[in-house]
Formats: sequence, structure tokens, C-alpha cells
Amino acid sequence: MHEIFRIHSTLSTFWWILLGVFFVIYIVLDGADLGAGVFSLLLNNENDRAAVMSSMAGTWDANETWLVVAGGVIFGAFPLVYGSTFNYLMIPLMFALWGIISRAVAFEFHVHAQSSRKFWGFMFGLGSLVAALFAGIALGATLLGFQMNTGNAQGIQVANDPFVNTVPHFSGNALSFLSAFSIWTGIGALIAGGLAGTLYLCARFEQDDPIYLKAHKSATLFSFLALAAVVITLIWSYAIMPDAAQWTGSGWFGWLILLIAILISAYKMMSNHAAHRDFAALLWCGAIVLFMWGGMWATNFPYIIPQTWTISQGGNPANDLAILTLFMTGFVPVMITYNVYQIWVFRKRITHLAGYESH
Amino acid sequence: MIIEDTLPVLLSRLDFAWITSLHILWTPVTIGMSWLLFFLEIAWLKTGNEHWYRLQRFFEKLFIVNFGAGVATGVTMEMAFGILYGPFSQAVGPFFGNILGFETITAFMYEAGFIGLMIFGWGKIGKGMHAFSTFNVALSSSLSAMWILVANGWMQSPTGVVLKDGLFQVTNWWQAIFNPNFNIGFPHMWVATVELALFFFAAVSAWFILKNRQANLFTKLLKPTLLALIIITPLQIFIGDELGREVAHDQPTSLAAMEGHFHTYLPDGKPNTSWNLIAIPDVSAGKNLFSIQIPHVLSLLETHTWDGVVTGMDHFAPNDRPNVWVPFYAFRVMVTIGFFLFFMALWGNWLRLRGKLTAEHLRKNPLFLRLMVFSGFLPYLAVWTGWWTREIGRQPWVVYNLMRTWQGVSHMSVTAESFWLIGYIIFELMVWGGAWYFFTRVIQKGPDMTSPVIGASDHDAHPSGGGIAKPTFAKPTMNKLN
Repeated sequence: MHEIFRIHSTLSTFWWILLGVFFVIYIVLDGADLGAGVFSLLLNNENDRAAVMSSMAGTWDANETWLVVAGGVIFGAFPLVYGSTFNYLMIPLMFALWGIISRAVAFEFHVHAQSSRKFWGFMFGLGSLVAALFAGIALGATLLGFQMNTGNAQGIQVANDPFVNTVPHFSGNALSFLSAFSIWTGIGALIAGGLAGTLYLCARFEQDDPIYLKAHKSATLFSFLALAAVVITLIWSYAIMPDAAQWTGSGWFGWLILLIAILISAYKMMSNHAAHRDFAALLWCGAIVLFMWGGMWATNFPYIIPQTWTISQGGNPANDLAILTLFMTGFVPVMITYNVYQIWVFRKRITHLAGYESH
Repeated sequence: MIIEDTLPVLLSRLDFAWITSLHILWTPVTIGMSWLLFFLEIAWLKTGNEHWYRLQRFFEKLFIVNFGAGVATGVTMEMAFGILYGPFSQAVGPFFGNILGFETITAFMYEAGFIGLMIFGWGKIGKGMHAFSTFNVALSSSLSAMWILVANGWMQSPTGVVLKDGLFQVTNWWQAIFNPNFNIGFPHMWVATVELALFFFAAVSAWFILKNRQANLFTKLLKPTLLALIIITPLQIFIGDELGREVAHDQPTSLAAMEGHFHTYLPDGKPNTSWNLIAIPDVSAGKNLFSIQIPHVLSLLETHTWDGVVTGMDHFAPNDRPNVWVPFYAFRVMVTIGFFLFFMALWGNWLRLRGKLTAEHLRKNPLFLRLMVFSGFLPYLAVWTGWWTREIGRQPWVVYNLMRTWQGVSHMSVTAESFWLIGYIIFELMVWGGAWYFFTRVIQKGPDMTSPVIGASDHDAHPSGGGIAKPTFAKPTMNKLN
């Protein structure tokens, strides 16, 4: 029996790490796309907005799909977490999904539109904004944890019900997600998205293009905003989250190294950006995401949802995790390979004139 | 029965039914048409005939208008299990969750990784690589359909699991994946996507021939499409019959509802073999108030014998019986459409045999073309009614005979459920209306016959148009990126 428990906790921890990797890839790739969408609201020329859209025409779908992969991994490896957390996050996920829908159809409709071109351009920007804002809110709400209860979720009592009293369900209400902290993380996600999006546009447009110049200026502004947002989030988290106490505990040295790594990445990002080495700046921005998400994941350990689900409580039985590991792990490098190829094909810098062509 | 009919449970079902019904509008085109686009591309590469290229690029535009809607509503689907049916997701997680995880990793992402290359890669990647991308989109979307049907088929015939500690734990993966319903349900759905895509081709072609625009080009497309349909339409009827027998075997309540079959035996003790053509069912009374019956047909259909016993609704406790109205009539609509589409395929090929499948002949007697345009809509209705039959027929269970629907519903207030429903009605109608509007725009604009063919000017292209051409796209270097 003991051995089985060890296998179970090893496999569930493996999927928890992989899940973290998928989230980082998603935030780096789609964060830039969503942020570029938010930035496009600041452009007052419809063709410029179209140029922003065509810069990601070949890759946005794959970038967004990393979120679906993360969702699929939560369902596949941690269904107990999936079934309760998504219930808890009903309202923010609903808004984020509406944002994603608006944005996705705007991509396909904008090219063909004439009289409704402005509308779909606006839906692209607004959809990006709503998706980023509510994804951020959902993240903040998740970090605070939620109440659970055994018994039937609908509150119906029936004798001999095999499903109650064993698995805890979410038991709060539709607005449980709402708090000052979760709203703040939503705003934080918009700022971070704005930074990633403008850095991405700098790497995608010719350096003398009007869109480049505008994005370059905004990125500088966003990088200062983002730095402030990171400081506020860290202090706020330390104040309210029990697990954050370890930052100043006996292992403080490791956390300090992580903080220094984040600060160095931020410095490298800003100096590369100032020197117009746009791709390098974008990569350093990705490094910040990696370090921060890694830090958050490590802080939460052994919880997958802080104070709510531990990694092994939320995980599937060992047998199912083993099947998932055996059949799916090999596909991870394959997925990454064809995604890298697709992004590589669409790497060429474009100009604002791309907005005049049908992309 | 009382619990099943409470407002929160009914609303949660309606919430899910709405997003599912509006999602299935898009995916069959993606799945079926991606194969047809691949064949068009291969036809172009093999023959060098520019017409196939023009048609491919034209239908690709319709494909991509459809695609965005399918992906966006699909992301919703993936999250909706956890949002609307949290306790269900938890209980079925060990199997169902794994399968959905398989789907995202081996299909959803696979498709996304090649769709960009397929749509925007023209001229940026070689012709061979492009055809390979189209092939991958086709294969991955079919794989996606397969996994989804594994998951849904298992909800209809849950084999290979035991219920332990409130979770359905898998005891035999082979049996759970290749569950009896999946083995026939997946072919039925996959063939439906191909049939729908073929009728999409045929209907658009018929419209162009009717309008006398590029009539010869579209007649050229109509011929192989009709030839494929003469195989696909009867095949689908055959598979459908097999699925009906499977349901009769593994899900007798669903079959009884589909056929309005209330009494297993007649009052004189003989098996009730009658098939109801139409009926006015009354579930609470456990009988049909009115029906037109044809003796022996039901036994022939479900048991392939003259007098075989088909289990009726009276065999089951009243609180285990599904609604009858919806499955009964939805099933009849689907079957009628299936036979009508078979008839259209026969008619088209008959015209061809007599040498009348030319633009001139067809326009002279436009009834065939008009009915063909109309037939473009019918497969959509058939897919809808088929799924409604399947899902409502399974009630009151979410996992047949093991977990009731109300046991799987999330902790939600009626207000939250209504908010979801109203919001999704607005958004999905916007998607639907928008897609329809842009479909008509792209169709009205017609195929682009003038732009240079991609790769045609390449000196190293194969003279016939085939082979792998070098991309005309200027490769930037890393220096420029930095």
C-alpha cells in the first residue's frame, strides 16, 4: 500500500510541474497576443488594428490552445480540482470565454467585413481586454482558495447516494471569487499583458514603422507600471497568504535568489528594449513570467489550490495517472516542436501596410 | 422524477444543451471539409489543373470563417464540464477527464499547430509541406471527434469502470475506451461530418450553377462530390441502423423513447412488434394516446427477426424513463433527412449516367439544383436532431444507469444559471449570425480566378504544377530579429 501512495504522489507531482510549464507557455505566448489586442484599442486607424491582427494571424489559435491544454491536463490529472475550481470560477471564466469567443470570431470576420469592419476591430480589442482581465481575476481568486463541502452540490438529500460524503464539492456562491485581491490581479494581468503585447509588437514590426514606434513608447511605460504591479502583488500576497510566510522563513536564501533573478531579467528586458533589440527584450520578459510563475508554484507546494486542494488529494488514482503519463508525456515535446516550427514560419517582421491586405 | 424536474437541474441541462448545440454547428465542417480540402489540394498537385487550386482556396475561405467559431465555442465546451457539471467531472474524472486530456494534447493542439500553416502558410512554406499541413489538420480534427465520441459513448454505455470512493475508477482501459456505443457511434458521427461537408460542397456548387457563375467549374466539382455521396449516404443509413440496434441492446430506455415503444408485450401476451410511424406519447400514463402502427417493423429493425422481443418503457420504473416527445420526433426528422439525402445522391448520379450533369442541362430544369441548395442545410438539422435523440434519450442519467443527471450538477444558483444561459444566447447568436453573414459574403464574391497561383512562377516547380516548390518568401536572418 505504501508503495502505491508513493507512486501516486510522484505521478501527481510530475503532472503538477508539467501543468506549471503549460501555464507558463500559455502566458508567454497568448499573454502577448491578448496584450497586443488591448494595445490595438489605443490605435485609432482601423487598418493599423488590422495589421496588429495579421501579425498574429497564423499563430493566435495555437497560442490560445495552450490554455486548453492546461485545462485538459487539470481535467485529466486533477479532476477533483477541475470539478470544484471551475465551479467556483464560473463567473470570471464565463466572461473570459466571452472575450475569447469575441476575439476568435473577430479574427475571421474582420478580413471580410466592410460596413462592420470597425465593429469587429473593436470586438477584437475588447475581447482581448475582457479575456485578460478575467483570467487575472480567476488567478487571484484561485490563489485565495475556496470553501468546499461534502454532500450533494445541489443540496438534495437522498438515502444511499454513492457520490456524497466522499468527494468535496465547491459550496460557496457565484460571487465568492470577488475580492479586492482578485480584482487587483485582474488589473495586474492587464498591465502585464500590455507589456508583453507591446514588446511582441516591437519584435513583429519593421523598426521604422509607425506601429513599431507607438508600441515601443508604450512598452517603456508599461514596463514601469509592471514593475510597480509586481511589487504591490508580492507585498499584498505576503500579507494575506499563509504559504507566503516561507519567503522570510528558514529558506529565505532561495527566495532571495529568485527575486534577484526576476530583477536581473527585468533589467535585461528594459535595457534590450531601450537598445531596440526587440526579440531579446521579449525573451527576457518571458523569463520574468517563468521565474514568477515558478515562484508561485513553489510557494503553493504541496497545494495545487492554496489551502484547498493538495496536489495528491486532487490527483486521479495512481492507475489513471500512470496511463496519462505513459500515453501523453511523449506528445509534449512533439507539441512544442510543431508549435516552434509554426511560429518560426511566421517570424518575419511586417509593416502597418499588412492591414490593407487580406491576411 | 421530482428531483429530476427541479428548476436548477433543468436549467443546467438547458445551459449545456445550448452551448453544445451551437458548438456542433461548426465542428462537422472542420472535420469533414478538411479532408475534402486535402483531396482538392492533392488533385491540384497531381494533375497541375489550376481549377482544383481555385476551388481549394475558395472553400478554404469558408472553412476558416467556420473555424474560428468552432474553436472559440470548443474552448467553452472544455471548461463547461467543470463549471456546470462539477460533481460529474469529479466522479468521472479518472476516465472521462483522462480522455479529455488525451483530446487536448493529441488533437486540439495538433490541429492548432497546423491550422496557421494551412491557412496563412501559402507561399511561406513549400507545396509539399502545405499539403502535409492540410493533412494534419484533417487527421487531428478527426482524432478530436474520436476522443469526444469515446467520452460521450462511455456516458451511454459505461464499461470498464467500478464506482469506488465516489469515483468511477477504471478497471479495464480497453473496455472503457472501446465501449460498445463508441464502436458504432464514432463511425456514425464521423461519416456524418463527411456527408455534411460533401453536401456543403454540393449546395454551394448548385448555387453557382443556378446563378450561372463559374458554372462549368462548379459542375466539375459536383461530379466527384455526387460520386462520393452515392457511397456515403447509404453507408450512413446502414451505420445508423447498427447504432439503433446497439442502443436497443445497451440502452433500452433510450430506444423505447426513440420509438415511442411503451409496451413490451401485447395484452394477449405476444411480443409487441409494432413500429410507430407517428404518435402522441403520454409518458405519465405510460402509453401513446394515438399512433399509426406498422406490425413487425420494430422487431425487424432492432432484432432483425419477425417476432423478436423489444424491451418497452413498461419494463422500467417511472423515474428511470426519459422524455419521449423529443427523442421520438427528433429521431424521425433525422431518419427522414438521411433517406432524402440518399435520394438526392441517387438523382444526381442518375442525371450523370444519362449525360445530363452539365451546367446547361441542370439550369434548364433547375429543380435538382434548388433542392440541392436546400439539402445543404439538412445535414445540420440531422446532426442536431441526432444528438438531441442521443442526449435526451439517455436521461435521467448522465452516466447511463450509474449516475443521475441531478447528482452531477454543480453548486449554482438559478440566477447564475440564467445569467449563463442569457449571456450565451447572445454570444452564440452573434457568432451564428456573423458566420452566416460572412458565409454569404464570401460565396457571393465567388472564387478568385485571377490572382497568380502560389508557387507558379517558381523556376524549380514541377512543370505539371506538382512537386515541392521553394517558398517565395524571403527568409529573414536572426540578426535582423535582434
